[in-house]
Amino acid sequence: MILLGKVVLGMAGLGLAGASLLCSEGFVQVKVIEKEPQGHHINVIAPAMLAPIAVRLAPRDDLAQAAWQIQPNLPVIRAALAGLCDTDDVVFVEVNERGEHVHVAKSGDSIVVDVDDSGETVHVSAPIRAISSTVEQLVATSSPHKWQSTAPDQR
Amino acid sequence: MRKTVPRPTQIAVVLCLLAAGTMSLGGPAMAAPAERYLHVRVQDPAQDQSVNVNVPISLAEKVLPAINNHGLHDGKVSIHSADMNGVDISAVLEALRTAPDNEFVTVKDKDADVRVAKANGNIVVHVVDKKNRNQKVDVTVPFKVADALFATAKNGQLDVAAALQALSNAGDVLLVTVQNSGQNVRVWVDSRNRQD
Repeated sequence: MILLGKVVLGMAGLGLAGASLLCSEGFVQVKVIEKEPQGHHINVIAPAMLAPIAVRLAPRDDLAQAAWQIQPNLPVIRAALAGLCDTDDVVFVEVNERGEHVHVAKSGDSIVVDVDDSGETVHVSAPIRAISSTVEQLVATSSPHKWQSTAPDQR
Repeated sequence: MRKTVPRPTQIAVVLCLLAAGTMSLGGPAMAAPAERYLHVRVQDPAQDQSVNVNVPISLAEKVLPAINNHGLHDGKVSIHSADMNGVDISAVLEALRTAPDNEFVTVKDKDADVRVAKANGNIVVHVVDKKNRNQKVDVTVPFKVADALFATAKNGQLDVAAALQALSNAGDVLLVTVQNSGQNVRVWVDSRNRQD
């Protein structure tokens, strides 16, 4: 009985440690609410750590074009993400029009984008570290040979 | 039997605690200078539209050198000598810097009023475009920013990164205002992370 208790306790500890590790980079949230009567309500909250893992597991051919497109801007993206980690919370962009509102901000360790217009409300929140890891994974997954072979103008 | 700590030791301990407290209170303020923000606000009250942009200058300073595109390389913009029309901008800036506060250029005609002046360490340009619904443009550039921007002009480059750094040290400053009958544009620098 005591042995069983120890096993259960060990498994619970392992599960807790795994869950803690999975959540250590925060969560990505995507929430879309369509305002029409039969509109969809989508709310996805996923551990941010899954994003680079998903990129690693995705078919390389599908990622090659994204990697090819991102490559010229990679130094700027890296510099921006590194800089974002060091800045305080700030609203970067706020656009208000009749019936439309766009809000891009850094909040805590995340980038938050809110769009509200007549058709739908969209909320996206992603931890900066997760964005950085995903970009690096995307670049690492696809070799330069792949980018060249799948470049739109070369296909 | 109760042992007492000698009085000099007590005083020394109290002084150490006070010093540690003072350092912990003053440390962060001394270590981290306040973040500076470049703000842009465009408002069109008639259309009920507004666009607000806030950029931490430290972020811009980090990103700018990474951009290599369209004449912008390593934080510097390439300019052709023809763009300067043979004007030695460094000499002009030096002459302006040493001159007392004054109005240097005043032009008034039926199309526009233009005024260029030096005031409180800034170059101030004021334009009223009479043809364009009395559009008013005011530009204020701190001398330190202009110096930094044109420091590499002789090499055919404008040092935007250095200008940003100078801007971040220049204190709160209203850089640009544009007003016409429809829209208002305002560009300024301060240490607040939002626009009120």
